[in-house]
Amino acid sequence: MLDNLTAAREQMALSLSFHIIFAVLGVGLPWLMLWARWQGLRKNDPLWTALARRWAKAGGILFAIGAVSGTVLSVEFGLLWPKFMERFGSALSLPFTLESFAFFLEAIFFGLYLYGWDRLPPKVHLACGVPVAIAGMASALFVTTANAWMNGPVGLVKDSSGKLVAAEPLGPFMAATTPPQIVHIGLAALMCTGLATSAVYAAAMLRNPAKRDGYHCRGLAAGAVLGLAAAPLQVIVGDWAARVVYAKQPAKFAAMEDVGHTQSGAPLHVGPFELPRMLSIMLKFDPNARIAGMDSIPAPDRPPAAIVHLSFDIMAGLGSALVALAVWGGWAAWRHRRHGAAHPTERRWLLRALACAGPVPFMALLAGWIVTEVGRQPWIVYRVMRTTEALTPRGGLYVYFYVTFAIYLTLSIALIAILRRIARGPTPRDEPPSDMPQPEPIAARQAVAA
Amino acid sequence: MTAANGLALIVLAGLSAYAVLGGADFGAGLWELLASGPRKHAQRDLLDRAMGPVWEANHVWLIFVVIALFSGFPGAFAALSQHLLVPISLALLGIVLRGGAFAFRHYGAPYGGDPVKGTRTWGRVFAIASLLTPACFGVAGGQLLSGGDAWAPLPLLGGALAVLCCSYLAATYLAADAAGIGDAALANDFRIRAIITGIGAGGLAVVGLTLVPGPVPLVIVFASSASRVGSLMLLRWRRYTLARVAAATAAATVLWGWAAVLHPWVIVGGLKLSETAAPASTANVVFAVLAVGLAIVTPCYAWMLRVLRPRAMAE
Ligand code: HDD
Ligand code: HEM
Ligand code: HEM
Repeated sequence: MLDNLTAAREQMALSLSFHIIFAVLGVGLPWLMLWARWQGLRKNDPLWTALARRWAKAGGILFAIGAVSGTVLSVEFGLLWPKFMERFGSALSLPFTLESFAFFLEAIFFGLYLYGWDRLPPKVHLACGVPVAIAGMASALFVTTANAWMNGPVGLVKDSSGKLVAAEPLGPFMAATTPPQIVHIGLAALMCTGLATSAVYAAAMLRNPAKRDGYHCRGLAAGAVLGLAAAPLQVIVGDWAARVVYAKQPAKFAAMEDVGHTQSGAPLHVGPFELPRMLSIMLKFDPNARIAGMDSIPAPDRPPAAIVHLSFDIMAGLGSALVALAVWGGWAAWRHRRHGAAHPTERRWLLRALACAGPVPFMALLAGWIVTEVGRQPWIVYRVMRTTEALTPRGGLYVYFYVTFAIYLTLSIALIAILRRIARGPTPRDEPPSDMPQPEPIAARQAVAA
Repeated sequence: MTAANGLALIVLAGLSAYAVLGGADFGAGLWELLASGPRKHAQRDLLDRAMGPVWEANHVWLIFVVIALFSGFPGAFAALSQHLLVPISLALLGIVLRGGAFAFRHYGAPYGGDPVKGTRTWGRVFAIASLLTPACFGVAGGQLLSGGDAWAPLPLLGGALAVLCCSYLAATYLAADAAGIGDAALANDFRIRAIITGIGAGGLAVVGLTLVPGPVPLVIVFASSASRVGSLMLLRWRRYTLARVAAATAAATVLWGWAAVLHPWVIVGGLKLSETAAPASTANVVFAVLAVGLAIVTPCYAWMLRVLRPRAMAE
């Protein structure tokens, strides 16, 4: 049986991890849908339109699960951490209030988009996709702003005795931790959506080579371009995030990079390897730079280092692997365009890599959140409130945890069954109806390129 | 008027919107469960088509209320979360299962043919979960008035009243939708259901008047009775569009009566709302943002409700 604190933490971790998977798709998928719908209208291309429709169907069900799991979170903040909400609910009010309007706009226009295909004129329908995409992205950025403030709170007003009396409503937007975190999560959402999408089509092509048709190629290309273009940017932003962590959250940094004691010329620990002086070089561009280690943090304020370090390595490793995949895919596309080499979808190994890359950004995403959240321990608001101080006095929280676990497991199983059914629907063939202009088949385009 | 008063009104407005719009989506669960007669499938089909496009937007009102509450009254939010841990958790359970099950049921056969295995079960889950949530919220509302735990007459009455109000709203709206697509027989099915639940809800509301710890302002009692009786008469005369409005008013006024009795408390005899308000600097900003946000969202919302009304042609 779990004690209350552990149960509450596991409950939080479980419900956040579950939600974030749908949330990132809720951020990214509208952009893909918008692109496909726009291409379909602009080029009068039924294949893009069919993709847009298919994605909207999948989106409909993903959004529903995202919405209910998100509701659980907002209420759970109070159920599990009432003392935190009591003291800091108003500090977080602005990002969350703005978020609620982003949700409204997203839900309203997504409803219109999903059910308006045959009720709205095509241009108006396309335009309904725009607020969905913008509001979805905005909601992710607002909630991450709240989280960034917990990592580096600013704007707290204390009275002469040091008691907290108020919080500056704009605080979350002014925290130094906010800019890198929101850019990082935004890119993560695009990577997750893009690569999950391309993996679906890559897997279909591997299973049945006849599926290398216009429909599947378009789906693969849209997803892969979105996901892989974001990958190199993500590494740069991750590096920025790490520098801000070093400046603002030294304990998290020491845990992340496994720096036991403060030292000059600190080595970089990657998996089983130790690269001498590398950490000093990367962080300060100086092989002898002094890096603060865990021993500079008072013992009661130290986060659990092993899991934070492991998660950080997983995230950075997977991120780098995706950059390598981006280079490979970009090279294959360039060879095809410029030198008439085989179409990228003819390269079985590239397809295999893309199919395997589907879950990879999600693993990096969850690992990243473990770095952020566990690395902040034992604080719920860094250096202001401890997690233990925030916990509800009500007992028996483990029951809630087990029930949540069982329900989310059931929902996941049902969801996968239905998404597979949606993916297996009939797809349009390359020959469009005769009254539409003919999009060039791949082979013809290759001939022209050559 | 201070920003805190304004925020309290916004919370109440959000709750009313949730009750009137989201409540009907929950009430539909009862009609899923009790679908019967020669038009059993048509009944289920209509509620799917009526709810499908709008339930998520309707659901955001709850999130709106939660956020407005913890932004404006963080102390109240913390106290409610602790006092009402059990009913709120059960309501959440209902929300998750209802939403998930509705989506699974809706997309069970995305291209026709045999639905995915388990789709029928999800239909059941949808129906039962839909009743769980309003019942729990009703119990929670009763607990705040009685100040005690759930096993007392007032909370139990609150739960039953919430379920009946939601079912009544759902039946009235569905009758109007069925009339809108020109299916008089289907409209009549829901009309009868609406009249029965409407009378039940009215009766329970009257019993509630005798149980609550303080007097309900006469204006509210009057408005509630008039709209309740009016909506029943309009249903009788098959004036569905007006009946929709009257039924919504009847449901909202019950909520206002509850709020009037609760005022100025968060939990009667426990905590006062004014003691839990956010600092004025925050309250002002939040109030301004909420007011501007609502002004942007409301017209979009109304447009959505209009465009997505069920139409005669199924898609
Ligand atoms: C697709 C997902 C993904 C990928 C490929 C990466 N990250 Fe990441 N990372 C996230 C997804 C993510 C995240 C889940 O989105 C986090 C959690 C909290 C946050 O703001 O972003 C995160 C947090 C996070 C943090 C902690 C920020 C904080 O606590 O304030 C650091 C230092 C990094 N990342 C660094 C990197 C580096 C150096 C990467 C590559 C080499 C990298 N990330 C790739
Ligand atoms: C969606 C991605 C997120 C994931 C996967 C995630 C993960 C976690 C994990 C693993 C914990 C437990 C940490 C521990 O106790 O060791 C936790 C705690 C917590 N997280 Fe997050 N988190 C996410 C986003 C957020 C955001 C956006 C917020 C706030 C706006 C937030 C607020 C909290 C709070 C309040 C706790 C509980 C207190 C604590 O343990 O510090 N989280 N989360
Ligand atoms: C810990 C804090 C979090 C809370 C309290 C929270 C709350 C919510 C709520 C209530 C919803 C439902 C809105 C609706 O009905 O449409 C939702 C959906 C959403 N959330 Fe979260 N969320 C959290 C974490 C995150 C994170 C870290 C992201 C970042 C990617 C995110 C992005 C989204 C998006 C894009 C949606 C709308 C799309 C969808 O419904 O799938 N959320 N969230």
